[in-house]
Amino acid sequence: MAPEIPDDGDPVHRHQIQTLILAVGILLVTLVAAILPVAAFSWFNRFGFLQFPLAFYLLAQGFLFFIVVIAFWFIRVQERIDLARAESEEWVGR
Amino acid sequence: MTVPSRLRSPNPHLGAYYGIVTSALVSLVIILAMLEQLGWGRAALARSMILVPLGLYLFIAFGARTYLPEDFFVSGRRVPSVYNGFVLAAITVGGVGFLGYTGTAFFLGFDALAIGLGWAVGMLAAGILFVPYLRKAGAYTLPSFLGHRFRSRLLRAAASALQLPPTALLLAVEIKIAALIAALFLPVSFAVAVVGVAAFIAAIAILGGMRSVTWAGSAEFLVGAIGLVVVVTIVSILLTSLPAPQLVYGGMFADLNKAEVTAGVVPLQPEALAMALPGPGLQPALKPFLQPFGILGPTDFFLLFLSLALGIAALPSLLARSSVNAHVEAQRHSTGWALLFVAAFAMTVPAIATFVKLIIFREIAVTPVSSLPAWLTGLSDMRILQIADANGDGAIGAAELWIKRDFVLFALPQVTGLPYVLTMLMATSALAIALAASASHLFTLSASLAEDLYRTFAGRQALPRLIAVWAAIAAAAIAAAVFLVIAEIDPLQAALTAFGYAAATFFPSLLLAIWWRRVNKWSVLAAMATGFLVMTAYAIFGGMIEIFGAPLSAPLASLAGALLALITGITVGYFTHAPSQAEAEYREAMRNPEGESIYDRAQMRAAAAASAAAAASSQQQPAAEPSTAESST
Repeated sequence: MAPEIPDDGDPVHRHQIQTLILAVGILLVTLVAAILPVAAFSWFNRFGFLQFPLAFYLLAQGFLFFIVVIAFWFIRVQERIDLARAESEEWVGR
Repeated sequence: MTVPSRLRSPNPHLGAYYGIVTSALVSLVIILAMLEQLGWGRAALARSMILVPLGLYLFIAFGARTYLPEDFFVSGRRVPSVYNGFVLAAITVGGVGFLGYTGTAFFLGFDALAIGLGWAVGMLAAGILFVPYLRKAGAYTLPSFLGHRFRSRLLRAAASALQLPPTALLLAVEIKIAALIAALFLPVSFAVAVVGVAAFIAAIAILGGMRSVTWAGSAEFLVGAIGLVVVVTIVSILLTSLPAPQLVYGGMFADLNKAEVTAGVVPLQPEALAMALPGPGLQPALKPFLQPFGILGPTDFFLLFLSLALGIAALPSLLARSSVNAHVEAQRHSTGWALLFVAAFAMTVPAIATFVKLIIFREIAVTPVSSLPAWLTGLSDMRILQIADANGDGAIGAAELWIKRDFVLFALPQVTGLPYVLTMLMATSALAIALAASASHLFTLSASLAEDLYRTFAGRQALPRLIAVWAAIAAAAIAAAVFLVIAEIDPLQAALTAFGYAAATFFPSLLLAIWWRRVNKWSVLAAMATGFLVMTAYAIFGGMIEIFGAPLSAPLASLAGALLALITGITVGYFTHAPSQAEAEYREAMRNPEGESIYDRAQMRAAAAASAAAAASSQQQPAAEPSTAESST
């Protein structure tokens, strides 16, 4: 089966743009996820989870779970982006 | 022909080796627990529990000794991701986090969570923004990366000099924590303990550089993690019948709140920007555990979190480990593992603080003075906790109960009535993490001083490469020990200042060096200098500068410094020359995750050129020899 032909532009440029968007996106989401329970702690603390006040739980555990999951998700997505670049460069090289 | 270290596979028996390390620790604990029941004294237990693991670390470091530069500086670039994650996590948390964060969580409760969040976000930011690119560059030190990136010896030397304050401060802090633990449990003075710890980490670093620091550090991390998990899980089972402390301590908040109210703990109002973190001495815990923002306001909370995150992301000792994995992908994975371990520790700390606080308040503050628990004597003798019925009402209120921030962790096994060997296991764990972190800081500092400052400027007269690093390690260890014997520092505040230095000096400059197309060496130099100057101004005049009536804090200064540094770097970049062709090519090569590292490619090219030159000269020689013979005839 023939390798998939890149449909647009320079693979290097596309790799860099995708990498940048992924990095900025993840860091922004992380920052928002950290700010939210701090800024709205009294609203969150009206709810409970596993006998914890929710704002406390989010800052003590929930956010940390989230960040570990997002880190491994980032690694997987970035690897796919890197692989796409390697395949495109190989195809262009041929 | 010798195969370069990086092309060899990692040792397939690593899992077995570290299984043996784990088994040895567990066996030691079981044997000592039996001997304790048979009447062994506390002094003998303490000596065995601290000195036997130290011998084990030294043995591992000796086994990892090397004279090959690639092994010495980057552990042969073949450390598996999980093991690098072990050491990265140990450096991030360190002894100061192990003891200081637990104590801070005890005193501040909710407000202390900013520290754990800062660690985790910093690790994530490093893994996304810097680590993969530093791995592709493949330089042995952070200043060396900047020097190669911009073809500038000036920048390399400046970066090496500017990484001195954060790395040296953290080195001193970690040695101090390790020495405090040794002096608390062994019959040695603090000064002797400082000298002993400095000599120990210097021996580890000299034997095999990054290689021995990595393999001894992995064992130290395992000892630290196992010790903590074992003790906290046992306490959790005793208190809640469930072996999952992180999930069950929420059920104790009602009892804790009741005990705090009985002890006279009332909600507090924070002072804006006061950043009133607990000090190292004996002090009362006056803030309700669950009260949000009672001592640190939301602004302080956010400043502390962000400053720690930027400081961790750009910490030279962490980034120096960005070249030890086989390739970019493995390096990313190691950051992921480190984040997982750090997050697990950060989730456990509030559980420990809750357990200790609940038991202490329930059994001291709620009980009449006449029937205080037996464990109080042990903690008082160790000067971890003190009480005094100052108002003579026959009960101990929260204001009459003082505890030392950095030893809250050691109170946990004692207040729950566990055998003394488990207190010693906790001490061994904290010591192990402090040793792993301090050895890494020592190696990072010394390798940079020798490689980036001394050898860059000494030229042909320079000492051989490894001898220069060995000398730097010995000198740095002696200097840190002398400093600690003379100076009195609060480990937590000093660590915050160090992270502040890293955040202000290196975060903006690395961000520009890796992510900004228009950057040049002047831009990076200006960014580094600006951040450094702001933090130095804070270190010198911090107490005199007031913001909203509160003295300037390290987190605020570091964030202001980082912002100013970023603005300065961008401005200078726009007003100076555009990057050269070589700089642009380096940037593109650094952002390509495939292939050999840039440093190794350059080394291979240099080696190929040298062998070609040697071959050419050997071809010329036979042709020249007859003519020489003829002329002599």
